[in-house]
Amino acid sequence: MGYNTKALKNRIRSVNSTLHLTRAMGLVASSKMRRANESMNSGRQYAAAFGSVMDLLTACPDCIHSPYMRPTEGKRVCLVVIAGDRGLAGGYNANVFRLTESMPREKVIPIGKRACDRYHGEFASSERYTGAQASELARELCRAFLAGEYDRVGIVSTRYVSMMTQEAQLTWLLPLERTEGRENATVDAVFEPDETSILNTAVPDYVAGVLMRCIRESFACEVAARRMAMDSAGKNAQTMIDNLQIKYNRARQGAITQEITEIVAGSGS
Amino acid sequence: MNTFQLNISSPDGKLFSGEAAELILRGAEGDLAVLAGHVPFITTVKPGEVRVILPDGSTRVGHARSGLLTVAHEGVTLLGDFSWD
Repeated sequence: MGYNTKALKNRIRSVNSTLHLTRAMGLVASSKMRRANESMNSGRQYAAAFGSVMDLLTACPDCIHSPYMRPTEGKRVCLVVIAGDRGLAGGYNANVFRLTESMPREKVIPIGKRACDRYHGEFASSERYTGAQASELARELCRAFLAGEYDRVGIVSTRYVSMMTQEAQLTWLLPLERTEGRENATVDAVFEPDETSILNTAVPDYVAGVLMRCIRESFACEVAARRMAMDSAGKNAQTMIDNLQIKYNRARQGAITQEITEIVAGSGS
Repeated sequence: MNTFQLNISSPDGKLFSGEAAELILRGAEGDLAVLAGHVPFITTVKPGEVRVILPDGSTRVGHARSGLLTVAHEGVTLLGDFSWD
């Protein structure tokens, strides 16, 4: 019995340190949550503001001839895959990779350490991705698209539904598509120099905006997912400790009872 | 002095939101200034200095590398690769 109680005690101690770890990671995630949410919202606003102007432009009859709106049948797809820098975030990274694997893809541009490890890309942090990096990547994507290296460019990221729910999603960046129901919309605005030139010049900035929105949103998802995962891991660890503690108490009591029985039996004889 | 609502955002976040008296920047076809009551207008922004004159007369200077300027009745929006000096 002596050995058994010792092993149980060690086990309890190790689970306890895991519990501390999950708690600490949960707290870190909680403290990052607010900032991540704020930057997600500013990214969303920027992309939405840009998107509404792009809707106007793509609805113009002339813009159908823009090289960014060429219809595509080809299968050469370039995907920007946005995952986290770290693991231990529940199914966050796995969901992104599963969606990526299900898509036909010729080239993958990974963002986030996990994605870079998996797709052997140049390292880019998803937490500290800057607007300048996004602009550079956007320009490169637009150049490659115009040069005909890819037929479609998309982003695999995670959509933030709520603290509890996040889902992997695929957003098509290029070619631009005309928003339904806007075909006959007329705008009483002056375009300088003209709709098509504005569209062609603005696309890289628009792509950078959408990239940034997806990265920020994915980061908020990562933090939320980690908080949830750490929460449930902490709960599980606590249940485990409780069960082990009961086992330990029983073993200890058993050992004492046995000792007493032995002493009583010894004195009786 | 008449003022208009001005919003300036870059992919990094919102950089300005508030009333302004005048906005001077380099548009696709040359330098231009936007005052309150400007006709609805959309143009691209060329690399160059951007000046915002606030209602109190003070000036804020920034720099745009690229972007899109939208002038609408509701307000003026500058979106793009922008930073304050």
